[in-house]
Amino acid sequence: MAETDSTEAHQPATQVALPAPQLLLAGTLAWLVPGLGHIYLKRHFRGVAFFLLVLISVAVGCRLEGNLYRPDRKAPLTYLATAGALGMGTPYFILRYGLHYEGRLEAAGFEYGTAFLLTGGLMNLLLILDTWDIGSGKKE
Amino acid sequence: MLSHFFLMVLYALLVSLFFTLLWRRDRRHQVTLFLQLFLGMVLGGLAAAWLMYPFPSGPPAPIP
Repeated sequence: MAETDSTEAHQPATQVALPAPQLLLAGTLAWLVPGLGHIYLKRHFRGVAFFLLVLISVAVGCRLEGNLYRPDRKAPLTYLATAGALGMGTPYFILRYGLHYEGRLEAAGFEYGTAFLLTGGLMNLLLILDTWDIGSGKKE
Repeated sequence: MLSHFFLMVLYALLVSLFFTLLWRRDRRHQVTLFLQLFLGMVLGGLAAAWLMYPFPSGPPAPIP
């Protein structure tokens, strides 16, 4: 699998590392709005593409009435799942507190929808890490 | 919208596009990785479904 390494690994990091406050701002923006961290770092195309991908994933999850996890003391793993879903940032709070979205266990697409919603959150968590790498000059 | 196959393909498409944009910059490498991921997920899913086909699914789980 060595040949499938990221192309960034074969290229020198051309970007200068950002100062810590800017790096934190980029990471925070990346969490709040999917793709915004990349746009802040002037990766506009990638930022918009990531925004659309995460949003489509979340929208399909909602359409299928999947579970938007919240912590449940009786089921400890829900804490982990909630952390994953929270990764989507602002959309989580809009769905949870703005639209009072909860999902519907009886819905035919419940399991699929849950997978799409969780994937949206996890994708954005990876985007935060990517933003951090770009901002610290480790990646193009 | 609720077809299992359609949802599997849609999921594979979204995830493949995501990782392609995340991991590759060069267009040719992007196409290669996208095809590897997309086809791997779709064909892998079909292969797993085919392997599970002979086994009975059992009664549906009760809704709590």
